[in-house]
Amino acid sequence: MSKAQRERDRAAARRIVEQQKAAAKRRRVTVWTSVAVVAVLVIAGLIGWGVYANQNKTDASSVATPSVAVDDGTAFAVGTGPVTIDLYEDFMCPICHQFETDSGATLNQLVADKKVTVRYHTVAILDDASNGTKYSTRAAGAAAEAAQEGKFKEYHDVLYANQPEENSDGLTDAKLIDLGKSVGLGDAFATAVNNKTYDAWVAKVTDTFASRGFNGTPTVVVNGKQLQGANGGVPTHDDLTKAVEAAEG
Amino acid sequence: METRQLSARMTAAWPWISTVARLGLAAVFLTAGLLKVNDLAASGRAVNAYRLMSYDTAKVVGAVQPFLEIALGLLLLIGLAVRLSAGIAALLLVIFIAGIVSAWARGLQIDCGCFSKGGDLAAGRTAQYGLEILRDVGFLVLAGILLVKPRTRFSLDGLLMGER
Repeated sequence: MSKAQRERDRAAARRIVEQQKAAAKRRRVTVWTSVAVVAVLVIAGLIGWGVYANQNKTDASSVATPSVAVDDGTAFAVGTGPVTIDLYEDFMCPICHQFETDSGATLNQLVADKKVTVRYHTVAILDDASNGTKYSTRAAGAAAEAAQEGKFKEYHDVLYANQPEENSDGLTDAKLIDLGKSVGLGDAFATAVNNKTYDAWVAKVTDTFASRGFNGTPTVVVNGKQLQGANGGVPTHDDLTKAVEAAEG
Repeated sequence: METRQLSARMTAAWPWISTVARLGLAAVFLTAGLLKVNDLAASGRAVNAYRLMSYDTAKVVGAVQPFLEIALGLLLLIGLAVRLSAGIAALLLVIFIAGIVSAWARGLQIDCGCFSKGGDLAAGRTAQYGLEILRDVGFLVLAGILLVKPRTRFSLDGLLMGER
């Protein structure tokens, strides 16, 4: 073997060793980066779990439930009739406003005739739609204090009459208090609105609503059976009257 | 001769194409996660709207999912174990697509909650399932590119491997 040939062989051997080293390094990097990725994702998942569990704990311990609320403290009853109508509404929801415009008078009549008990569930699923001011929650919390003072229906109606546009800032707390004054609510009401006394409770109402498998507002339930309009839409006052008649038997 | 030039050009181009795919996919997951992370209860309700699991399970999934999406988005952004990260992203996307398909098949009228808090649609709005699936398939293509060609520019992988 010539000297030149030996040189070439040695160089080739060096190259092979270098290639093997490089391959080993790549494998090492791949293994450890993979471990890191899995670890990061597991930690992120655990953080989510932790935040969720913590939220549940604080919710349960710090909720002030309005004493007048019915249905496990998640709704306000209006009327004393035998047929129960559960009405899930969000004060920011324009379709709820449409429903109130269409069916409000019918509901009032059914209540006056002592045919139905309407249970108003003031859920907050549109907190996103008020530029971060959480109007749905604030309005529902204010309505809870109105209920405590025996003015739920009056306040509920005045809130829908003055409903802010979806994706606006919503009504300010001061405006909520002003509207309260217009239906005879005074200083105690103003204090509760400013202190957000019942805002945490609204989350519980919303949670109960979701746990019953409902997603949208308004949801109308007559004697435990969800009432829908044509094509699964919102029921009209006619649909409501018929459903109540059917429930009366 | 020409094909060899073309293939050489493709070889040079792939890391750049993959880089765009990686950063695009990172943006998708970061956006999706950040939009949901400030209201985990709403995220849970969005999962519950699919009616695929009990509400208690949906709440946990809804709470964990935004954090996973953000973490995965960050991993893709820095480019760590890109092939594995892209594989996990693809798996998540397949799960999301399956969820949308099942909601569609059952005739549910829900917002997919992909880039929002989701829930039922307001009356008069119809679900855009076809478009939502098409969009997710587009994201799946990005993940696919990275699965096949995980080498990208400006990645931690490249740095650790000693590439420049």
